[in-house]
Amino acid sequence: MIRPFTWPAHTRLLRWSAALVLLAGYVDLAAGGLTLAPVLLVTGYLVLVPLALLAR
Amino acid sequence: MTSTRPLDAPRPAYGAAAIAGVLVLVLYLVTLAPTTAMWDTSEYITAAYTLGIPHPPGNPLFVLLGRVATLFPFGSVAVRVNLLAALCSAGTATVWFLVAERVLSRWFTLRWARLTGAAVAALLSATAFTVWNQSVVNEKVYTVSLAFFAIVSWLTVMWCDDPDGRRADRLLVLIAYLIGLGYANHPAGFLVGPAVAVAVLARRPRTVLRWKLILAAVLALGLGLTPFAVEPIRAAHHPALNEGEPTGCTESIGLKCTFSSTTYSRLMDNINRVQYAKPALSERQAPLSAQAGMWWLYFKWQWLRDSHGSQSGLQLVLALLFFGLGVAGGVVHWRQDRASFWFFGPLIFTVTVALVYYMNFKYGASQSPELAGVPREVRDRDYFYLWSYSAWSVWAALGLVALWRALAVRVQGEGASRWLTTAPILLLGAFPLVGNWRDASRAGETTTREWAHDLLNSVEPYGILITLGDNDTFPLWYAQEVEGVRQDVTVAVTSLLNTDWYPRALLRRPIVPYDATKGPAVYRGRRWPMPTTPIFSATIAQLDSVPEYVDLRTPQLFQQGTLRAVVDPRQLEYGVPVRSDLLVLQLLKDNYGVRPFYIARTTGGYVQALGLEPYALMQGLANRILTTPSPTNADTVAVPGLGHVDVPRSLSLWRSYGGPASILARGDWVDRPSVNIPATYIGTALILGQVLGQQGDTAQANKLRRTAVELGHVTRTLDLFMGPEPAPPPPVQGGDAPRSAPIPANP
Repeated sequence: MIRPFTWPAHTRLLRWSAALVLLAGYVDLAAGGLTLAPVLLVTGYLVLVPLALLAR
Repeated sequence: MTSTRPLDAPRPAYGAAAIAGVLVLVLYLVTLAPTTAMWDTSEYITAAYTLGIPHPPGNPLFVLLGRVATLFPFGSVAVRVNLLAALCSAGTATVWFLVAERVLSRWFTLRWARLTGAAVAALLSATAFTVWNQSVVNEKVYTVSLAFFAIVSWLTVMWCDDPDGRRADRLLVLIAYLIGLGYANHPAGFLVGPAVAVAVLARRPRTVLRWKLILAAVLALGLGLTPFAVEPIRAAHHPALNEGEPTGCTESIGLKCTFSSTTYSRLMDNINRVQYAKPALSERQAPLSAQAGMWWLYFKWQWLRDSHGSQSGLQLVLALLFFGLGVAGGVVHWRQDRASFWFFGPLIFTVTVALVYYMNFKYGASQSPELAGVPREVRDRDYFYLWSYSAWSVWAALGLVALWRALAVRVQGEGASRWLTTAPILLLGAFPLVGNWRDASRAGETTTREWAHDLLNSVEPYGILITLGDNDTFPLWYAQEVEGVRQDVTVAVTSLLNTDWYPRALLRRPIVPYDATKGPAVYRGRRWPMPTTPIFSATIAQLDSVPEYVDLRTPQLFQQGTLRAVVDPRQLEYGVPVRSDLLVLQLLKDNYGVRPFYIARTTGGYVQALGLEPYALMQGLANRILTTPSPTNADTVAVPGLGHVDVPRSLSLWRSYGGPASILARGDWVDRPSVNIPATYIGTALILGQVLGQQGDTAQANKLRRTAVELGHVTRTLDLFMGPEPAPPPPVQGGDAPRSAPIPANP
């Protein structure tokens, strides 16, 4: 039997956090931000998204 | 399906791997470059600092990471970005330690023996020449790419081990995400993809039937690619570095121009590197045997760089040894750990055989020098095989451990003593550390920074400087945008003037006031009025309409004021005036009597090709183009074959140059394709020496000649200047220049 792939519901907070941080990063980038934007985007892409994908 | 991980399989040695990584980092810190370096280093440090867009595909993830690195409050900006490279490669060595230890755990019960073997893998992978050399200066994005490559490799090995379950599923989705994210750093991010696919098919083929999991992986991969959205957003702000200008916004960012077809097509052109117009794979740029030969040439460099060919025999022996050890390591891997082999074997195949075929390089810059006239890469491309040599090091280490084991079982003794007795064989793994140190280290190397300052300072305030390629341009960008040096000078590189976006960027560039405190003494004590007109008199639309070339093949008169030059298209690179030539002449016309106009002496015969020789006056490292023919008097002396020299100005500039002392301090010039940089200094010293000798200043002349000879000795370029008269320096290489439009053959 093929086991279905499911996303753990309790990682929702992490997923939302990642999405919000990335969104805030892009908004600041569009506003011309040179400091906060890259920090948020790097945190989102390299920390929060991997955590959200890997969290048990 | 059940896991193949043995129940008693040891936990990965994370602590020991971390210690190995820290030791590698210490090695890199000791040999770290204190500033920028040649080729793309300056471009990428500038891109990171300004959050700009480097050449296609734009590498947005690197730019973000680099920008964050520049925010740390220690060292110079360049050191911070160089540290990023060092950290990434130290991380890679940590991962290779884990991979090697995991394979050995199937084979060795002695923990210390396993850890020793894994340490050899970390050492070899960290000290292979190209890895080491790229890890001590951030030349581009490759060490970040290598770190992604290694991390995805480790995650895939873990996925192969994990029992079928939610954790394995999440690992697979994470792997897909990191592959996408790695691509947003550099297309090499996809290099692990085929090996991951083989591992999935070999370990759990039913995975492909799980459509929800596959869909999640595809979406994760897509999410990993989204940093490319950074490009149009930043491009719309028109940062100092905005290559490809992937935006439809001409003035400022806006929703309508950002979500426009222009933005989309420019972004896709950037991502797909359209401006380089690389031929189809079926159109080979060199015989496949030569392309494989290039891989082998650089493979030999890994274990002993031997940059001047003085130990070619030993280099060959070591290359054969480490090739053989790698093959033996592959066999060991296959026999001892089939599960991870199904990933690592295809990975090695991808980054060796498949990569050689895919890259489709011309002959290497240092390859088969006896073949004259074959198309060549402008520089050595060893860095494109970074992943190959790094991963091969793991197999070479496994092979060395197999050799150790074979010896240990043959000697007399009990238990650990046999291993200790035969352990010295592992010292073979230290060969690259010792043999590559001198060539791989960048400690104390400051020449590129000095060169940038020296070339910029050769130009009077508010001057325009025409350059040719990477090494006479990118360091200047770094000096101007990162260090704030001579921002009043407009640098215009001909290789990029053939694009549509670069002339627009020049037109947008603000006029920055000259800062006398950062300029040389020779310009002090005078007022330098700031120009008020833009660099081009044309509008953006008019610049866009400049044709890619004009089919003129006979000499043409260019006239502006008192300047009359006969441009002979037959002396131009393409045989007809191309867009860059037309725009250079336009710059000359528009700035006549407004801005001093210079052509760098690194551009070869460009002054002559434009018919400007009678108006050229050498001032340090650049030729100034005067509005009237150069006079001949006590200060401006005619040198046969070279034109006129402004003696007092050039001498004053020479005394302010930091480049010669920096080259002498380094005592060598490893990268031969960039040797025209020291050659330009040597040519300058020889010309000045000759002129001063003729004027009777023997002491000064001899001093200059001695410096030239010393520079020639340490950089091994004296043979370029052995003629009876001073020769002009060879031109710089054009770098990865965009291709000009195809020009019809002369009828």
